[in-house]
Amino acid sequence: MMQQFAHQLRSLLRDADRWLVYASILSLLIGLPFLAIGLGALEGVGEMWQHVLRHLLPGYLLNSLLLIVGTSLLTLFIGVSSAWVVSSYEFRFRQTAELLLFLPLAIPSYIMAYAYTGIFDNGGTWIALGKSLGLNLPKIDLMNPLGLIWVLGLSLFPYVYVSARVAFQNLSSSLQESAYLLGASHRSYFRTIALPLASPAVIGGLFLVIMEVLNDYGAAKYYGVQTFTTGIFRTWNFLNDLQSAIYLAVILVALVFVLGWLERLRRGRRSYALTGRREQGREQRRALPKGGKRLLCLFVILLPILAGLVLPLAQLTYWALMTIGDQWSKALLWTSLQSFGLASTVAVLALICSFCLIYYSRWSRSRLTRVYPRLVSIGYVMPGAIIGIGIIGALQWLVDFFASGLDWKIGAYVYNSLFILLYAYLFRFLAVAYGPIEAENIRIGRQLAESSSLLGKKPLSTLFNIDIPLLTQSALSAFALVFIDAMKELPLTLLLKPYDVQTLSMTAYQYADDELVQQAGLPALLLISVVGLLLALLKNRLLSRE
Amino acid sequence: MSKYLFGFLGILMLFTSCQNTQSDLSNEEGVSESRAQKSITLYTHRHYDTDKEIFAQFEEQTGITINVVKDGASALINKMETEGEQSPADLLITVDAGRLVDAKQKGLLQPIESDFLRKTVPEKLSDSQTHWIGLTKRARIVVYHPEKVDPEELTTYEDLVSERWKGKLLIRSSDNIYNQSLMASIIANLGEEAAEEWARGMVANFARTPSGNDRDQVKAILAGEGDIAIINTYYLGKLLNSADPQEVEAGEAVRVFFPNQGEGDRGAHINISGVGLAKHAKNKEDAIRLIEYLASKEVQERFASANYEYPVNPEAEASDLLKSWGDFKEDSLPLVKLGELNRDAVVLFDKVDWK
Repeated sequence: MMQQFAHQLRSLLRDADRWLVYASILSLLIGLPFLAIGLGALEGVGEMWQHVLRHLLPGYLLNSLLLIVGTSLLTLFIGVSSAWVVSSYEFRFRQTAELLLFLPLAIPSYIMAYAYTGIFDNGGTWIALGKSLGLNLPKIDLMNPLGLIWVLGLSLFPYVYVSARVAFQNLSSSLQESAYLLGASHRSYFRTIALPLASPAVIGGLFLVIMEVLNDYGAAKYYGVQTFTTGIFRTWNFLNDLQSAIYLAVILVALVFVLGWLERLRRGRRSYALTGRREQGREQRRALPKGGKRLLCLFVILLPILAGLVLPLAQLTYWALMTIGDQWSKALLWTSLQSFGLASTVAVLALICSFCLIYYSRWSRSRLTRVYPRLVSIGYVMPGAIIGIGIIGALQWLVDFFASGLDWKIGAYVYNSLFILLYAYLFRFLAVAYGPIEAENIRIGRQLAESSSLLGKKPLSTLFNIDIPLLTQSALSAFALVFIDAMKELPLTLLLKPYDVQTLSMTAYQYADDELVQQAGLPALLLISVVGLLLALLKNRLLSRE
Repeated sequence: MSKYLFGFLGILMLFTSCQNTQSDLSNEEGVSESRAQKSITLYTHRHYDTDKEIFAQFEEQTGITINVVKDGASALINKMETEGEQSPADLLITVDAGRLVDAKQKGLLQPIESDFLRKTVPEKLSDSQTHWIGLTKRARIVVYHPEKVDPEELTTYEDLVSERWKGKLLIRSSDNIYNQSLMASIIANLGEEAAEEWARGMVANFARTPSGNDRDQVKAILAGEGDIAIINTYYLGKLLNSADPQEVEAGEAVRVFFPNQGEGDRGAHINISGVGLAKHAKNKEDAIRLIEYLASKEVQERFASANYEYPVNPEAEASDLLKSWGDFKEDSLPLVKLGELNRDAVVLFDKVDWK
C-alpha cells in the first residue's frame, strides 16, 4: 500500500512539468467555488438529514432517473436523426433547417414548459381555438413526468444535434466513398461507420443534456414533478437546512461522475482519431431522398422544428402581442444588448480557458492534467443556486482576508462587480465549451501536433498554426452553446449580478415566477431573437467545412 | 466578416463594463461623501412592476437611488449571512412572514425605529421588536364554482377534509410557501396531531396531483377538474385583470369564500409581504424613510389597486375589487408563528405525502 503510494508519488513528481503547473493554477482558480462547497460539505449533514433520507430521497432519485432515461432517449432520437438527415441528404431549405434545429436551445426549458401548458392546458390556446371552430377539444395534461420529459427533450435535443452534426459533417468523403465502393448501403454506412465515429461527440452532447436535466428547477417545479434538484431546494429553502442541501448536491455530483466514469470505461483505449482526412476530403456527397424516405426525412426534420420551435414561439408571440402595450420599452432593448454583451464575453472567456486546458494537457506528461477538466466541469452539474453559495463563500474568504489582514473594506466592490458574475459564469459553463472541443480533439488525435513539434515548431506556434485552425469549427459550436446557455442563465445572475445589469432571462423569469406568464412572452421572444441573430452572424462559419 | 463581428463584440464588452464601473463608484461608501448622490440597497423577493414604479417615484421625490437585488428570499438571506458586516443590503423584502422570522433568528435584522410606522402598521402584522413589519396583506381563501357548489356548504378549512369534497379539491404543491404558511397556521391553531389528520384528509380529497400555480387551480375549476380551490386573494384579482381573455373567463367563473368566519371562529388565514431592516445597514435613515414611504396611505392604495393586495395601513382604502369581496375576519394568530412552524409544516407535508 505504502509502496504503491510512493510509486505513484514518484511518477507524479517525474511527470511534473510546467504544463502541469499551469493547468493546476488555472483549474484551481476556476474550481475555487467547488472547494468552498466541498469544505462546507465536510462539516457533515444537517439536522434534517434523516427526514430527507426517509421521505424525500427515494422518490426524488426515482423521478430523476426516469427523467434522465426518458430525456436521453428522446434527445438522442431527435438529435441524431435530424443531424443525420441534414448532413447526408440534400433537400430544399436544408441550410435553413440546419440553423432552425439549433434554435430550440434558445428557449429556456421553464419557458418551454409554460408555453406548452399555455397551449394545451385548461384555458389554453388549443382549447380556445377548438372552441372558436365549434369543437370541444380535450386538454392535454402535460403536468406529469412524461410531459416534463417531452418539454425538456425538446428544449435540450440541440445539444445532441449540434455535436452529432459537427461529427457527421467532418467525416471525410473518402471514408464514405470507400464504404460505398465496398458495397455498404447508406444504412449500414450510418450504423457501422458514421455513428460509431460520431459517438464520442454524441455522448458529449448527451452529457450536457443529462446535466441540464439534473439541473432543471423551473420546469420541474411548475409541473409538480419532484426531482433531485427540487429536493435540494426544498431542503434548503423550506426545511431550512443548507447543510443537508449541500450534501444532496455533492451526491448529485458524485452520481454524474460515476456516469462519466462508466462512459470513459466504455470508450476504453479505443482511438477515434482519423489521419489525413481533411486534406483529401472533398465536400461530402449528399443523397437526394426519394419516395417513402422523403416523407421520413421530412418527419425527422419537421417534428423537432414544429414541436420545439414553432409551437412555443407561436404561443410566446401570442402572449407578447397581448402585453406589448405595457411591455415594450427602450429599457428592454438595452436589456437585450446587455444580455448579448455578457453572453458573448463569457463565451470568449470559456473558449480561451478550454484552449488553455487542452493545450496544457497536450504537452504535459502528467495524467493529472486530464483529470482537471473533469473536476472543473463540476460547475455544470451542480444546481446553480448551490454554485452561487460556493462563489459567495469563496469571495468571502477574499473579502475577509482583506478586511482582517489589511483593513481594506473591498466588500462594496466585490459584491457589485461584473467580474464576479463573469467568473461565476465561467465556472458554470466551462464544461459546455470544453466538451465539444475536446471531443474533436480526441478525434483529430495528436499526430499532427507531434509532427509539428518534431519539425521544430514551439508548442505555442503549434497551438496557433495547427491546433486552433483544426478546432475552429468545434470552437464555434462551443461558442454558440456557451452563448446560449449564458443568455438563459438564471440563479447565478440573480444572486451575483451588479445592480444595474438586467438580462432578458431574468426579466422573463421574474414575470413567470409571479404568475404573469403573458408578460414573460416579449422578453422570451427577444432572448430567442438575440440568439437567432448570433447564429445568423456565425452562420457561414458554422456551416462551412474547413 | 469575423473581424467585424469580434470588433463589434469587443466594443460591446467595453460598453457593459463601463456601465458597471460607474455603478461601482456610486455604491462605494468611501467616496459617497463627496457626492450628493445617496443610495440604499434593497434585497427583494418581490418582482412586481408596481414595485418598480413605486421605487422610481421615491427616487424622484427624494433623490435617493435604490439599488435592487431580486432573488428568492432564502438565497438573499444566505447572501446577507455570508456577506456579514460588509453586506451592502439595507433592506430585505420577502413575500411571507416566515422568511423574515428566519432572517431575524439568524441575526440579520435590527429594530426599525419609527414612530410613524409604530402608529401605522398594526402590531400583529409586525415583529414584536419591530425587526420587520408587514407591507401588504394577502389572505389564502377558498374559491368555488357557483353552479356546482352551494356557498352554504362551505364553512371552514377544517371542513374541507369532509367526505363531501372528495375528488373536488384543487390546491398547488407543498413546495409553495403559501401552503406551508397555511399548514403552519393549522398546526398553531389545532395542534400537531390534528393538523396531520387534516393534511391527510386534504390529500384524500385532492381532485388531482398538485401541479401548476394558483392561477392554474382556478382555470381547472372552469375546466371542471374540481369544484373548489385554495388560492391567494390577489391571484384572483390578477386573473380578472389579465390581458388573456381565457384567464379573465376563469376568474369570472369563480366566487370568493372566506373560511372560518363563524361566531367565535378564528377567521381566514392571512400572511404578509414585509420588510426587515438589515443589521449592517449602511444607510439606515434613508432605508427607514423608504419603509415609511411604502407604508404611506398613497403607496398602500397603489398596492391595493394595482397588485390587489390588502393594505396594512388602516387609513388606506382597499380597491373596489377587494371591497367587492367583502370584509372578513382575519386569523389573529401572530405571524411570527408562521415562521416558527414553517419547518414543522414541511415535515408534515412530507409525512402525509402531499406532493
